[in-house]
Amino acid sequence: MSELTAATSEPHPDPRPRSRRLPIGRIVAASIVGVVLVGLPLESPPFRNEQFVGWMAIAIAASGLNLLTGYNGQISVGHGALYGIGAYSVALLITDVGVPVWIAVALAGVICFVVGVAIGLPALRIKGLYLALVTLAVATLFPLLVEQFSSVTGGGSGLSITSPQETARGVVDRPIQLTSPFGALAPDQWKYYVFLALTVVVFVVTRNIVRSRTGRSLVAVRDNETAAEVSGIHVARVKILTFGVSAAMAGVGGAVFALNNVRVNPSSFTIAVSIYFLIAVVVGGAASVIGPAIGAVAYGVFVDVVSPELPERLQPATPVILGGLLIVLMLVAPGGIVGWWRMLVAKRAARRGAGAAADGAGPASVTRKPSSRSTDARSPEA
Amino acid sequence: MSLLEVRGLRAGYGIVEVLFGIDLDVDAGELVVVLGANGSGKTTTLRAISGMIAGRGEVTFDGSALIGRRPDQIVGAGIAHVPQGRGTINDLTVLENLRIGAWTRRDGDVDTDIEQWCTTFPRLGERRDQAAGSMSGGEQQMLAIARAFMSRPRLLLLDEPSLGLAPLVTAEVFARLREITTSTGTAVLLVEQNANLALDFAGRAYVLEAGEIVAAGPASQLRHDETVRKAYLGI
Amino acid sequence: MTDFLQVLFVGIGDGAIYAMLGLGLVVIYRSTGLLNFAQGEMAMFSTFVVWTVWDLGVPLPLAVLAGMAGGFAIGALVHQVAVAPVGDPHERPLAVVMVTIGLFVGLNGLAQLIWGTLDRELPPLFGTGQVTIAGVAIGWQKIGAVIVLAVLALGFWLLFQRTGLGLAMRAVASNSESASLVGVPVPRLLMLGWGLAAAVGTVAGVFTAPGRGLGSNLMQLTLIFGFAAITLGGFDSLLGAVIGGFVVGIASSVVPQYVPGFEKIPLAPAFILILAVLLFRPQGLFGRQQVRRV
Repeated sequence: MSELTAATSEPHPDPRPRSRRLPIGRIVAASIVGVVLVGLPLESPPFRNEQFVGWMAIAIAASGLNLLTGYNGQISVGHGALYGIGAYSVALLITDVGVPVWIAVALAGVICFVVGVAIGLPALRIKGLYLALVTLAVATLFPLLVEQFSSVTGGGSGLSITSPQETARGVVDRPIQLTSPFGALAPDQWKYYVFLALTVVVFVVTRNIVRSRTGRSLVAVRDNETAAEVSGIHVARVKILTFGVSAAMAGVGGAVFALNNVRVNPSSFTIAVSIYFLIAVVVGGAASVIGPAIGAVAYGVFVDVVSPELPERLQPATPVILGGLLIVLMLVAPGGIVGWWRMLVAKRAARRGAGAAADGAGPASVTRKPSSRSTDARSPEA
Repeated sequence: MSLLEVRGLRAGYGIVEVLFGIDLDVDAGELVVVLGANGSGKTTTLRAISGMIAGRGEVTFDGSALIGRRPDQIVGAGIAHVPQGRGTINDLTVLENLRIGAWTRRDGDVDTDIEQWCTTFPRLGERRDQAAGSMSGGEQQMLAIARAFMSRPRLLLLDEPSLGLAPLVTAEVFARLREITTSTGTAVLLVEQNANLALDFAGRAYVLEAGEIVAAGPASQLRHDETVRKAYLGI
Repeated sequence: MTDFLQVLFVGIGDGAIYAMLGLGLVVIYRSTGLLNFAQGEMAMFSTFVVWTVWDLGVPLPLAVLAGMAGGFAIGALVHQVAVAPVGDPHERPLAVVMVTIGLFVGLNGLAQLIWGTLDRELPPLFGTGQVTIAGVAIGWQKIGAVIVLAVLALGFWLLFQRTGLGLAMRAVASNSESASLVGVPVPRLLMLGWGLAAAVGTVAGVFTAPGRGLGSNLMQLTLIFGFAAITLGGFDSLLGAVIGGFVVGIASSVVPQYVPGFEKIPLAPAFILILAVLLFRPQGLFGRQQVRRV
């Protein structure tokens, strides 16, 4: 768990010298988060645990989107479609091909990687708002495609994920069940732990990618493609690979979603899902590893915990509040929760450092008048 | 009292301060130049006066305070600003550029004025229906100046008109400008790096360094100032 | 042949609606450089306003005018409150996209909150009558859509080419700083542009609603068709929006009818158009400037 918490550091190397003392605050926080994550399913009702798994699916997909949009600057409003492809891949592989569950999850990632690379190629020439437009169209198109190819996908009524199972009436196809081999855990608890482990693995891998040379090249490409190209980064390869990895993560998220619900349905993969992912990314904080997890939890808490407590008449107000909050967030704290936290930390550090660095920041100049500039420069309210 | 009075003007971009308390005056009909190196704050000074960026301090034009007013209100008060890089509106034709220059006017003489500017700058008259963006740099500079005069300003803020122009073209621009100001009585606050030209043009000059006025005086006097000669005239 | 003409006329009628929404998208793109992903939801919302006024007993044409006024107010408000403060769309594309998505989600929810989740019935503005041309029966509603589109397009053309206000709006679109320096009140004109765009969106909604029922998802497909129209026509070209609208309308009516495998995805031709144009001719057919690279 400490891996996850440590991952909040920024993509750019921290200019401040690292404290030589043990990061006690960080260790305590990580331990608390760890205990909560492990203890939670033991104290929660089954429907709640299934909701938690749903949040994990969003967190994984949003983390993939964050790699693409936050770190690499390619905006996708279509990750819901990749999520859907992952979900349908798992469903079809298990039900129709008879592939074991975990291999199906891995294959869903591989399939989405290939699809992502295929989308990444045209995306080399389509940037910014225009890429958002194309991916928005993809997201809108996906549920319609599912209905068009109903002979494979089951159309509007969807697919149940089944496997041949022994029953009293012999071997029949029944919905698959993920059960604990240890017996002590209920199916929902077992599902929770298994997918939590998967989520942690995905986030650790993401953190390692972001901190590696490759990760720095993602940011370099986002900030200035020409400069990145000149400094020897293969921009096209970086962008296409990022699209592939990002799509693979969305696909794995979709696989988790499908296995959690044991069925897939085109109405689960509308434009709204793509929007949830973007919300999770920007609420948590774009371009921070842990941001999408925080965003996914914030979104989940809002939709699954807070919203059902609202009076009946105000239930439909959930999206209104969500949309309003999103706009306010973009205007007030475009860096999301993590960005806001970093700003607080930086401000505190600046206040501590302000006393030490008194003068010498202003540009040297020959003046004939006595100057009061260097002190004034620091007090904009003067 | 001067037409434009600037006292203790401070301005910048975000948290970066550029101007650290500027004082300057421009009298009615006066030609004044602000000299300074790249990054000394010349452009920022003009932008703060015309309301394009927020400034602090006092800016008084014809007795009324300008700080805190919007750019369109400041144009309405009688200040026109030709920005660096000329700022012609490329997708509009020459005529449309001139017409939009008169946006703040409500009188009926706009068409007469347009014809007059097309006569003053025959090149503009010839190209009246051409998109402004397709003209040469010199023509665009003439258009930008003519457009600024379309608002019948009492003060023209002019930001580096020589930038990117051939010396001959620059000389022509300044010659025309002198004719126009003589006939209209418009005051000019010019910002220039080409100190030779500027000191020929202006009656009075300020020298700006790192956001502060470090010298001021009649142009003829500053021309012989040792520091100014070294720094700006390359002599 | 008759069948084909029937399909063609359906496409032209739909195309007129896409072109209306496209006109609004172009007006916003020209003034603020922004692809407004909330345009469809703004149109849906003001169409509900039309329905409400009509439901009170006001004749439909008057209700449409009232809805356009309401749409104008919504567009202007949205610009002032949410769009203007966030900054340059090409400097901060993610923040701007997220603001329009916030509007998308928020307006959709607000419509459900106010008008419920059941579809409302809005009658066709031009009635249910038909006229037979070349042996094909065409609804007056479709002919009406084309006429209204022509009126709106002509109105915009007159505004932009023949009035001082339109000249100022074009100046703001081309170079907002210079426009500001000649005294044009830029923020107010941008607000006006958003208001106008939302007002024409209302009309697109009024023509979309009768066929499919007025619900909060009214314009989500239409929005993509509208975007396809302006991508093809050029993001900043009013004429392009009109021609693009008809091309997209006809393509998405004809292709599902005659090309096997496309029966349930009329959106596919529109998607292919968006992708192909952005890849190979990003300025579209009539766009004056290259799509700005970010």
